[in-house]
Amino acid sequence: MSTFRNAQEQAHPNKNSTLTLAIIVVQLLLVSIQIWLLYSGLNNALEHNKGIAIPALVASFILFLVCCSLLYFLPGRGAGKKYNRRS
Amino acid sequence: MATDQEQMMPDWQRDFPYRQDQARLVTRREFSRMLCLISAAMVTGSAYVVAKAYWPRTGVPAGRYRVCGKDELPAGGTRSFQLPGSSVPYILLHLEDGTFKAYEQKCTHLSCAVFYKTGTGKIECPCHNGWFDAATGEVIQGPPPRPLPALQVVEEGNDVFVMGPGTKAG
Ligand code: FES
Repeated sequence: MSTFRNAQEQAHPNKNSTLTLAIIVVQLLLVSIQIWLLYSGLNNALEHNKGIAIPALVASFILFLVCCSLLYFLPGRGAGKKYNRRS
Repeated sequence: MATDQEQMMPDWQRDFPYRQDQARLVTRREFSRMLCLISAAMVTGSAYVVAKAYWPRTGVPAGRYRVCGKDELPAGGTRSFQLPGSSVPYILLHLEDGTFKAYEQKCTHLSCAVFYKTGTGKIECPCHNGWFDAATGEVIQGPPPRPLPALQVVEEGNDVFVMGPGTKAG
């Protein structure tokens, strides 16, 4: 079996850490966009511009799904070890 | 045992552990999970806004209400009033140019009571120095994000009437 990953893990032991950080930054970004969507949806609804509310809800929901899928791909406790064990 | 020691520790000491294995840190995975929860809360908030916007509004007063006589309110004067069946405070202005205007007396920023500044043609919100145009209700300066909601004013003979906000246009 290829030892590519194994070698990678040994060469860059903190790659997972960088990845985790990047994913969290992206999630923070998504949540800020959601806050903005909620704010503009609310303000427009109060101004009787109802048209914005539903697209804002749909966009917010999509961002939520993206957020959850990012959590799914977050390197877990076992990340890296899996490959090291075989060596 | 670390756990026994931990039990003995006062709370403040547990917040600032000396040894690393005593640290109770939030892992990045937990943090990420919390972000997902916040994200779900945002979706719920947006859904609430949609529900509020499209739910048929009930209990909003409609029709015509008499506020006062024209001679009861000198030019530059104001009068607060409420419509029956609603707790929203309104303010009737008699502007210096002779027109009557009625607005909600609640700032669109954080709901402070607004006042007409006599002689300036402006409505002031003292809370955070917000200003509205008394002729249109538009925001002139300050933090309010939206114009003041206005009521339609009808002058008839010597009386001033307002149309409730639930009145159908036309
Ligand atoms: S409440 Fe009126 S400006 Fe803040």
